Amino acid sequence: MAGMRIAVCYLYPDIMSTYGDHGNLETILRRCEWRNIAVDVTELRLRDRLTPDAVDLIMIGDGGESQQHLVAPDLCKVKGECISEAVARGAAALAVGGGYELFGRFCQPERGAELRGISLFDAWTVRQNAVLSGHYATISAAHADRFIGELVVRWRDTLLVGFENHGGGTYLGATAQPLGQVISGHGNNGDGTEGVILGSAVGTYLRGPCLPKNPALADYLIGAAISRRYGAADLPPLADDLEEAARADAMRRAQDAARTARTARAKQRLSAFAQASLEHGWHARASATRAALHVSARHRPARDSLKRSGIARSGGSR
Amino acid sequence: MSSDSRAQLGLGASARRAVAVSTGKAARHGARRLGMGDGTTVPGKVTLAIDPGALAGLLAEIPRGAVLVTGSNGKGTTCRMLAQVMRASELHPVVNAEGANQSAGLATTMVARAALTGHLPADSRAVGVFEVDEGSFPEVLRQIRQPTAVVFTNIFRDQLDRYLEPAYIKALLEQAMQSLPPATALVLNADDPRVAFVAPEASNPRLYFGVEDPGSCRGEADPTSDFPRCPRCDSELTYTSVYYAHLGHWACHTCGLSRPQPEVRLTKADLAGPYSARLLVTTPAGEATLEIPLPGLYNAYNALAAVAAATHCRLPEHSLTAIEQTTTAFFRMEKVRVAGHDVYLALAKNANGYTEVLRAVLGDRQPKQMLLGLNDYPGKQPDTSWIWDVDFGSQTGLIPAPVISGNRATDLAVRLKYAGWGGPGDDTGLAVEPDPVRAFQAALARAPAGQPLWVVSTAGVLWEVRRWLTDHGYVRQLWHEQTGAGTWQA
Repeated sequence: MAGMRIAVCYLYPDIMSTYGDHGNLETILRRCEWRNIAVDVTELRLRDRLTPDAVDLIMIGDGGESQQHLVAPDLCKVKGECISEAVARGAAALAVGGGYELFGRFCQPERGAELRGISLFDAWTVRQNAVLSGHYATISAAHADRFIGELVVRWRDTLLVGFENHGGGTYLGATAQPLGQVISGHGNNGDGTEGVILGSAVGTYLRGPCLPKNPALADYLIGAAISRRYGAADLPPLADDLEEAARADAMRRAQDAARTARTARAKQRLSAFAQASLEHGWHARASATRAALHVSARHRPARDSLKRSGIARSGGSR
Repeated sequence: MSSDSRAQLGLGASARRAVAVSTGKAARHGARRLGMGDGTTVPGKVTLAIDPGALAGLLAEIPRGAVLVTGSNGKGTTCRMLAQVMRASELHPVVNAEGANQSAGLATTMVARAALTGHLPADSRAVGVFEVDEGSFPEVLRQIRQPTAVVFTNIFRDQLDRYLEPAYIKALLEQAMQSLPPATALVLNADDPRVAFVAPEASNPRLYFGVEDPGSCRGEADPTSDFPRCPRCDSELTYTSVYYAHLGHWACHTCGLSRPQPEVRLTKADLAGPYSARLLVTTPAGEATLEIPLPGLYNAYNALAAVAAATHCRLPEHSLTAIEQTTTAFFRMEKVRVAGHDVYLALAKNANGYTEVLRAVLGDRQPKQMLLGLNDYPGKQPDTSWIWDVDFGSQTGLIPAPVISGNRATDLAVRLKYAGWGGPGDDTGLAVEPDPVRAFQAALARAPAGQPLWVVSTAGVLWEVRRWLTDHGYVRQLWHEQTGAGTWQA
């Protein structure tokens, strides 16, 4: 692929890079370097503009709420239109976590007014929980209000792995396509979808950072950037043994977490049942049983899809 | 309430205290006999369960009060250095075990020192030197009503709760500080914008420490840093020099706020050696040259914090050199002799820690044998994304044939590959062995005869290596050193 060259714009490296996000950029750079593809990286900070024609891949990382407050006005006023135009002209994009939320129509932070997004994606983000005021009194209270854990997503013919940690739920509008289906974890809002894809622009809650452990997604973005510049791309494969080992470990962790969650739910149901029996006799016991059955029925689809994907340890045969 | 019932209550409370303390003591001995855990928190939990007021009561009995050290990195080392200076000043510091820095850990320290009556032995020279977990600071502050000083080392993004932004930690600290008595001095790192102007409305006296050695500057902005914004107006800060991460000489051009002029300054540092550092420190009383037995700029900052706290406590100038006798604690470049090799155990628990430990050890640019570890903890969030903020890139080639270990070894291996330590056609001899003990044995076998081995890792891998070293008689059990007579008595 010698002689090829792509242009990458990395947004707010000094602000939206909370979760090792520049690891995603490093992954693009190395995987291009190993294939002799030259990469020009432009770091865009507050007030910097981008030229829609001169960019093949746009990347924005994750940040907490204060970071979102900092960049949201700049995204809307200075960069938003150019980003949407670049994507419309075929540029690839990767927006993660807080960046994904701001690439939608709006997001509702825990504190302060709603933040307007750039409306690249037909999606919006609201707080999942009702309590919105002030600081959390304790760290565990803050944790309880978020979706934290391993996230496994079916995307095309492969599984993407990552880690999610977000307080907002993202909902997709009628015109939006989810990136993939949640196999394990929470994803957009618990409805089984994760992320969004528009052309070659990807929004996702997958962190970790996600590209090092998902070389297929990294190569998809590189391929899309090359195609935009040169019309077609045929990327030679790379030796991804270490990446695959890390992916396998992540899936094992997701599986363990799913099992732990199941056990915790079972314990909870059992103790509710015992409590009801002790306190109220048969009548309440029957209603607790109904509730228990209801809960287990609700969670069955997730368990089944985990099995179907072949990553569930127990009863793995299809 | 009649005076009779008050007296009864008094007697009841005192009896309860005695029962709580003696049960805690029994738990401490029991835990050790049975080899259960390190025994640095369980006795405290037992004591506090019986008498929630035990900790506050015991702390109030320390005649010379307490100095608290809080912040993200360097709390324990700063405490040990300060305790050394206090001993040289003929005081009797009471120090909590490293890492046992929440209420239960502090209570364990106090229970160990108390008599069965539930009271501390009379000692007019006793003084507390406590490291306090930044997240537990509000809770601990409710127990210690009159600290003589609070030392703030620095605030970095936490490795396990990275969404808990530094702003959250700062707000937590500031909220707690509202209950500080106005006489408590704040000993602050002038080079950290998050710390220098903590709780701006508080009228407490402030004493600043900072680095002023142009030779120790980084040439360019640190790739690992997570730069804070102006603590007053939230604008972008500009730096004329950066020492490490976001610590340096900073100013805000929007509102005019800038790094305060420190009273205690590091004016020259020789940091080339992997084992020690030579520091020229200037205080209001004069200059001192200190040869500290710990390498790297981050340890120079710890020494500076300790000197600043000693300056506030008006400890005699000549006692400062006692810092040179600070022993390395567990996991802080702890040295163990194993099969003809010096093995150094170095804790690297977050991005800045990992980066600075590697810089300290590789400051002389000589290749070294290393085991690099990474693990997460059951029940905690499995986020290890911070390894992508570690500056591995500038150490490429200096760690031949590293062994990678821990339950997240494959993540670390991928990170190193993308930092340029491996990749197609590049044989760095990088070995992945998730089991810490097997990895340690492999790394020892790879080390050339007589050459040292560094084990740099998050805590999980270090604990397992250390347990193996303990089982094989290379090191003593932790509690011997940590809560044994040597640490908390003069």
